[in-house]
Amino acid sequence: MAGQVKPIPVPVILAAANGDEDALAAVVAHYQNYIRALATRPLKDEYGNTYLYVDEDMRLRLETKLIHSIVTSFKVLSA
Amino acid sequence: MKDSNEQRIQNQFGAFCVKVLKNEARCIQREYARRREQEKPLDDLTASELEQTATWDKYFMDEHVFEVQGLPVVVTGDLLAEAIAQLPEGKRDVILLSYFLGMSDREISERLNVVRQTISKRRLVTLKELREYLMKEGFEWPDK
Repeated sequence: MAGQVKPIPVPVILAAANGDEDALAAVVAHYQNYIRALATRPLKDEYGNTYLYVDEDMRLRLETKLIHSIVTSFKVLSA
Repeated sequence: MKDSNEQRIQNQFGAFCVKVLKNEARCIQREYARRREQEKPLDDLTASELEQTATWDKYFMDEHVFEVQGLPVVVTGDLLAEAIAQLPEGKRDVILLSYFLGMSDREISERLNVVRQTISKRRLVTLKELREYLMKEGFEWPDK
C-alpha cells in the first residue's frame, strides 16, 4: 500500500520522536491514507444497502495514538 | 553505508508506525464489538422495558388541603390527612395550627380565644389520639 510512497526523511523521523510539531504533522500526513483505510467501516442503512464510510472518531483516535506512541515510545535501535 | 543506516531507521520507523496503527485499530474494533453486544438502541426496547426507564411526577397527588380559620393548610400523605380529617374540628385546628403552621400555643390561644393551657392540653390529647388512630390503620413508623 505504502510501497510506492516516498519514505519519510530520517531528520524528520528523529524530530518527530523528539516531539517537533511540524515533523509530527508531516508523519501524520504521510500515514493519513493508511489511517483512513483502517478507519473505514461498513454502514448498513435501513434498506439493507451497505456503504463504506470513514469513522471520524476512529480516525482521530488513530492519529492521536500514533502521535502519542511516536513521542513516548519510538526509539532507534542500533544495528 | 550511510544510506543503509538511513534506510534502517526509516524501516524501523515505518514498521513501528504501522504496528501502532494496526494494534490500535484492532483495539477500537474490539471495543465497538463489545459495545454492540452490550448496548441496545432505544428504538429496540419493548414497551415494558421502556417503561422501566420512565419516572412520573407525583406532585400534589397526595396533598390534602384543610382550612383553619380561613387559612389553607396543606397536608402531605394520604394516611395522615385521613387521620387528621377524622378529628373533631376543635382538635384538628389545634394540630394544624401548631404543627403545620408552626404557631406557638400562645398564638393559637389568642386566635381561638381560649386559655393557653387548654390548647396545650388539647394538643397532647389529640396527639395521643392521632397516634392510636394511625397505629390502628397500620401506619408503619419509619426506621430510626
